[in-house]
Formats: sequence, C-alpha cells, structure tokens
Amino acid sequence: MMRSTLVLALVLAASACTLPNPYSSPVPPRPVPGGAPNLPPSQQPQTPVEPLPEPEPVPEPSPPPPAREYQLSSASRSLVNQAHNQMAAGDFGVAAGSIERALGIEPNNPLLWIELGRLRQAEGNYAQAENLGRKALSLATGDPRTQSTAWRLIAESLRARGRAPQAREAEARAEALTPR
Amino acid sequence: MSRTSRRTWRLRRVLFLGALLALIADAILILYLDRVVTPQFEGRRWTLPAQVFAQPLELYAGLSLSAEALEGELERLQYVRTSDLTRPGTYRRRGVRFDIAARRAQFVDEAREAQTISVIAGAGGVTQLADMHGAELPIFRLDPLLIGSIFPIHGEDRIVVTPQEVPPLLPTALMVVEDRHFETHHGVDLEAILRAAWVNVRAGAIEQGGSTLTQQLVRSYFLDERQTLWRKIKEAVMAVILEARFEKSDLMNAYINEIYLGQDGERAIHGFGLASQFYFGKPLDELDLSEIALLVAIVRGPSYYDPRKHPERARARRDLVLKLLGDFGAVGEADARKALKQPLKVTSSVTAGYYPAYLDFVRRTLQRDYREEDLTEAGLKIFTTLDPRVQATAERALTDELKRLDQRYKKKEVLLEGAAVVTAPQSGDVVAIVGGRQTGLDGFNRALDAKRSIGSLAKPVVYLAALETGRYNAASLIDDAPIEVKLPGGKTWRPENFTHQANGLVPLTRALADSLNMATVRLGLDVGVPQVAKTFARLGLDQSPDPNPALILGALDLSPLEVAQLYNSLANGGFRTPLRAVRAVVSAEGKALKAFPLEITPVADSATVYQLNRMLTKVTQRGTGRAVYNRIAPDLIVAGKTGTSSDFRDSWFAGFTGNHLAVVWIGFDDNRPTGLTGSAGALTVWSNLMHRLDPISWDATLPESLTEVWIEYPTGLVAKPGCADDVVSIAVPRDSELPVKPGCGDGPLSDFADRTRQWLEGIIQR
Repeated sequence: MMRSTLVLALVLAASACTLPNPYSSPVPPRPVPGGAPNLPPSQQPQTPVEPLPEPEPVPEPSPPPPAREYQLSSASRSLVNQAHNQMAAGDFGVAAGSIERALGIEPNNPLLWIELGRLRQAEGNYAQAENLGRKALSLATGDPRTQSTAWRLIAESLRARGRAPQAREAEARAEALTPR
Repeated sequence: MSRTSRRTWRLRRVLFLGALLALIADAILILYLDRVVTPQFEGRRWTLPAQVFAQPLELYAGLSLSAEALEGELERLQYVRTSDLTRPGTYRRRGVRFDIAARRAQFVDEAREAQTISVIAGAGGVTQLADMHGAELPIFRLDPLLIGSIFPIHGEDRIVVTPQEVPPLLPTALMVVEDRHFETHHGVDLEAILRAAWVNVRAGAIEQGGSTLTQQLVRSYFLDERQTLWRKIKEAVMAVILEARFEKSDLMNAYINEIYLGQDGERAIHGFGLASQFYFGKPLDELDLSEIALLVAIVRGPSYYDPRKHPERARARRDLVLKLLGDFGAVGEADARKALKQPLKVTSSVTAGYYPAYLDFVRRTLQRDYREEDLTEAGLKIFTTLDPRVQATAERALTDELKRLDQRYKKKEVLLEGAAVVTAPQSGDVVAIVGGRQTGLDGFNRALDAKRSIGSLAKPVVYLAALETGRYNAASLIDDAPIEVKLPGGKTWRPENFTHQANGLVPLTRALADSLNMATVRLGLDVGVPQVAKTFARLGLDQSPDPNPALILGALDLSPLEVAQLYNSLANGGFRTPLRAVRAVVSAEGKALKAFPLEITPVADSATVYQLNRMLTKVTQRGTGRAVYNRIAPDLIVAGKTGTSSDFRDSWFAGFTGNHLAVVWIGFDDNRPTGLTGSAGALTVWSNLMHRLDPISWDATLPESLTEVWIEYPTGLVAKPGCADDVVSIAVPRDSELPVKPGCGDGPLSDFADRTRQWLEGIIQR
C-alpha cells in the first residue's frame, strides 16, 4: 500500500512535465466571462435572471451525433389531436389533461413537453411555457429540429414577458438549429 | 248508590279526560313527528363523502403489459371472467386475446359509457387494441379503481345508487327475508310483530325482529340505537307517517341507500352501493345471486355476520336467505342450488384497495382548497395519481422486509417501522405511499410525518453544489483525510468515515459512491455550508435548512415525502415539480371543478444534474448501494444513495430507475438504534420494489456540453478499460482537463510515462 502510493507519487513527479497539469485538485476555476460560456442558457443555473450582456455566439455545432428525430407514438398522437380540439373549444384545463395523459405514456418525448408549453402559451402562462420549453430542450439532445422548436417556444415566451434581449438570443439559437 | 254513581261518574270523567288528553297528545305527537319527519325525508340528501379514484390504466399498442399482468389488472378491478360477455364488468380471454366489457366510468374529462374492446397482449406487451367492430383504437382507459372516500371522522361512508343501478332481485330479497308484507302494510306489521314475539318467547331470546323495512329505515334515519318503549312507539308512528306520505318505491330506495352494513375502523359502511364495493370491490348492479344474498344476510347483524371475521356464520345465513328465495319463488330452484355452492367471494381483506396513508395525503392536499364539509358531504369525485399496482408492490416489499428483520430482534416490545414514497419523476405524480407496516390502518403516517435524520442522503446535494461552482467535476480529487471543524458553539467536530479509515486523494465520484464522510465534509466546507443549504432549498425544501456544518453529513430531519421531493428534482433532470397526489376534482354532476396541473421550474442546470446522476449510478455499481444488484438485473442502470444516521437509528435508500423514484425509510418510532445500515433494510425494500415494477434503465441522453470518459476508480486518472483494472465511466464538461493515467493515454508521451513508472517500480522492488 505504502509502496504503491510512493510509486504513484514518483510517477506523477516524473510525468508532471508531460501531462497537462495532472494533479490540480480540484480543477482550477476557469475564467467565466459573463456566465458559463460553453453552456447554452437553457442549462445555466436558474438563478433570478439578470439581463445578459450580449446575445452570445451560438456554440459551434459539435460534431453532430447521428441525428435523431423525435416522433409521437400513435397513442400520444391521438391524445394530442384530442387536446388540440379541446383547446379549440377553449377548454384549456381539459386539453392540458389530455397532454398529461400522453406524457404519462412518453415522459421523455420532448415534443409532448413542447405541446404542453404551447398550450400554456395560448393560455397566457408564459413563465410555464418557457419552463416547459426548457424541459423539452433538455430532452431533445441530438434532434436539432425539436431543439429549434423548443428554442422558438422559449423565445416567444420571453418576448411575451418583455425580455427582448433574451428572446432575441433564444431566437438566434432556434434559427441556427433550423435544419436547412 | 249516589255515592257510587258519583264515584263512577267521576271516574268516567277522569278516564274521559285522560283519553281526551291522550288523544290530543297523540295528535300533537303525530303532528309534531310529521313536521319533523316529512320535510327531512322529502329533502333527503345523504351527505356524500368524496370518492377517491386511482389513475386509470391506459391501454395502447406498445404498452409493456403481459397477458398475465393485464388479467391481474382486470382482477383488481373485479372484472369477472366469462364466456359470453353479457354485461359490463366482465371479460373473456382466449390465450393472449382479451375481450373486455368495460364499465361505464367517470374520468376527469368525460363520462364514458360502457363499451366492449379487444386487446391482444403478447409477450412483448400490448400489440393490438380495437373496438367491438374491429376498428383500431389508439388508446383506451379502463375504469379507475375506487380507492376510498373522504368521510367525516367517526362518520358514515356511502355510495348512493339510483333505482336503475339496483339489481331487481335485491328489493325482492329484502322483502322475502326482512318484511314479507312490505307491499301491503302501512308501516307496521302486526302479524310480524306477534310472530316474532311468539318465536322470541319460545326461544327465550331475541331471535326474530318484527320490524318492517320502513321501521328499520326510520330507526336508522331518525333515531338512535336505544331500545326503549318510547322509542319503539316513536318509531312506529314515524313509520306510519312515512308510509302515508311516500310511495313504497321511494321508501325501498331510501332503505337501500341508508341501511348500515358494516364497519371498517372508524368508517361506517352505509347503503348497498358502498357495501358492494366494500365486500366485493365492484358496483352493485354487477352482483350475482349469491353475492346479493350475502348482503341481504348481513343486514340482520353486520358485525355478527361479518363475512370476513365470521365466514361460517355469514355463509349459513346467506344459505338461509338463498333457501328462502327459492321457497318463495323469487328465484328458480336451479339458480338457488347453484348459488348455494358458491363460496363467499368477498375480497380478501377489509383493506384491499383501501390506502389510508395515500388518502391522508390526498385529504391534506385538498384541505388547502376545500372545507371539510365539501369533502365529506358534496359527493365530489377526486382523481388521484395513485398507481394501484405500484402501491400494492410497495406495501408488500416493505412489510416483507420488516417481517424478515423482525427475526433479528429477539425483544419485540417495539416493532421496527418503515415508510415508502414512490413517484413518477417527470410529472411529480406520487404513485404510492406506504405509511407504516400496518398498511391498512389509518394511523401515524410516517411517509408524511416521521421527520428523521437523513444522514448520507444529504451527500448528493453537497456534490451538486460543488459541481455547480464549476470548480469541480466527477473526476476532481478531494482529500479523504481526517478533518477538524470548529462549530459555532466552540466545539470541535471530527467526522469519521464509516470504516474509520482515510483514503487520501479520491475522485469525487468515488467519494460519493463510497459515501466517504471526511472527503465530503472537506468538499462541503470548500463550497460553503450556506451554499449547500441554499441548494437544499432550491431542490425542493420549503425553507433553507440551518447552515450548520453538520448539514453536510445530513444533520437534517426530513420526512420520506420531503426526501422524495428533493430527489425528484434530480431524477427529473434539474426540474422541480411539486409532488402531487391529486390531478383533479370533479363535481357530483361530472363537472370539472379544480385541476392540479403539471408545473415545472428549472432549479439546477440539467447538464450538471446529469453529471451528478451519473455519479449516483456509481453508488449502486461500485459503492455502498451495490447490494441492489442482489435483486435487480445486472444490466439495469439505476441511480441512488444509501443513508444511515448516527448510531444506525435510520436506514434510508433513495433512488430512481428510468420510470420511478422511490424513497424508503426504516427505523424505530422511538428513535432507538436499529443496527441497520442504509444498505441493509431500506435498500432491500427499494430493490425488491423496483425489481417487481418492470423497471427500465435510467438512460437520460448525454447533454451536448458533456463528454464521457473512463477514469480509474481509486485515483480518478483517465484510463481505458484495457489499461487499468478498476475503471468507471463518468460524464464531465467537454472542456475539462483531466490527468491521464500513465500508459492509458495516446501517443509517445504517455508511453514515456509508462516506461518511467516501470523503471521506478523496478527500483523500489529491489
């Protein structure tokens, strides 16, 4: 035990110059200009939102993993259609119930979270609409089309609440992700 | 002569006056009783306790539900297997094909009429769903299970039925057995009274009652249970008044809804509608002859003829009822004979399908918006998120383990207790609550009210706070070495590891997996105790806990439900959603009154939470939670954390699969040490529970800002499975700079380091 620790220490000493700062423990703080630059705003800690300085540059698209495309199962599809009819009849509460039934079947499908967000938006509950958009975004990894839709929902919800700069930024992300 | 005649006259006068007075008194009494009885009966409206329903089972192609599981669900709803499907509440099975005559049912958004569907449930789950004409159905829900009602304390519980919902045989049977002249008498049946008196005198005991159904109704509706002559007179007068004022059919319907038919703790079972649910778990109009006969048998003495406590007595009287029905031609001889052969068929226990701990949570939820009277009187229908299958599984997992542990304790003056909460993390739906080992008893609800020290369950919160600083990742090293902390009171705190050993520099993922106390305290102090306290509040506590350093090791008393709220935010990827048991409240008429919609709030960066959750999967794969794999499949990925408070007073396990989060607590009510660590009692319950719930792996997609790497578990050095014995995969931010284990990297430089190591080892070995 003692010996292997010693070995390790010596190895470290020997290799210290060859490896990038091996035993900095913990990892030293990185400079953080204006928030965590490599995290999209959706993934920043949701402390009370301060106006962000500038629309951040959209992170360069990481080598896209095999793109996926979320779809609704036929059960969810029928419930969502039902919800649309209920919304058209002005029955938001019942419509939300239908989407929640679908979420019970496919809780990880971002499209359903977007549907619920759209419903809240139509109802004028923009704070929830934005949150639901962010939930969708957190599930939509690898599906640019859905990510784009989620960003658009977020952008519209932000704009409706008078947060124009953030709305523009979200809009830019939606735009950048729109498949061409 | 004159003296006698005067006396006679006087006597006559007295008698006359007396009779007159009596007549007047009678008239006044009758008028008075009429004024009391008639309006009360006319405006009769039973107070209707709110009915509480579980979430309905949704059927759709693709649902993972085997034929056996589907049959189990149908049995839970007391559907009867038949060959002809003649009425709702029955089903026919041919191999994997089910034809189900679904009942009429009220849901949050609609009242659906009875409907026949067909389902094919193969090994891979439901593959086909169609209506009776063969047209494909995208989705269909079975009727929701009635799980209880909110009745007043010490009060009457009932389900009111309309005459259309009453099987015609029931009134007939009541008349044959209880009151043969019901159709003709005027409220009292002198012949019956005389016959009963004669029988009773001969037997020297009360064997027969001569009361008509109307008298029984009056007794139950207007009077107390005292057996006095005055009360008997009142009863008779009131019965006559009711008969004069109301139709026979009204009185029969009132009787069917009013009469007392059983007791369940403080809950009095009134009316045949509820009795049918209480004894058979299904609606009154689905009862067969033998079942109706049993209910009619119970009328005479619900506690004496309790079919669960005294099955032989109940059966004897039921058979008597059946014979009477046959003798009087109310049913055919053959039918009666067939019914006589039937067993009692009551559901196995009083508490089957009745979940007091869960109802308690429902009641508390609704108390914010409703007055007690609204809940106990207005006939509301409450739709909850309870999943009966999960609830039954959780109850069994907990009680089985507690019984097993009982063997370890020789002195049994106090029994080990436990509690469990299960949620569907994405929606925050509470799908099961177990409040103690006696799951059917309405008592101390530990899931909600037992605030116990959470011990190591606090650690994930500390690690999340650390990751959130951006200064740490899952591979960062922290020193697991003795540490002294000056407490505000001037005392010095020297936390120790469970093993009383120090491990030196360890990666965060290992410190969490092995639940290393010294490393965690060092980490928590570096992050700052106030920051840790704030993280607790953010994830789901109502208020920020005291920022005492001991908070880092879980010096915080929480109920299992509160722990579930905290961990739910982790399982839900950094989104907080209030745990809810009630989805909606619907009026007696079927109008939606109140909904508790799904609401979510982002409370932590989802990528950071993902990083933490990956660390929590190491707890079960490598660390203190390894024993879960004694039960669950080796390839199932689950995240969780063990918890033990000081002196083993509390044994906790909190964790989640891809579909459920469960929090389990075991301990003694009086807080004495149990000798159990988190990996014994609570962990066993958790893994047995999850194992039986068809779990799917926790497999959230890797956020784009993270990357996966292998590190050496003891040292945190980046290493590939081929080049080190003991590696684990973690997720870290893409820009993390991690030290590589010599020989495990790519390129010549690491080869050089590798050679150096070999060379050095050579020196030392000499």
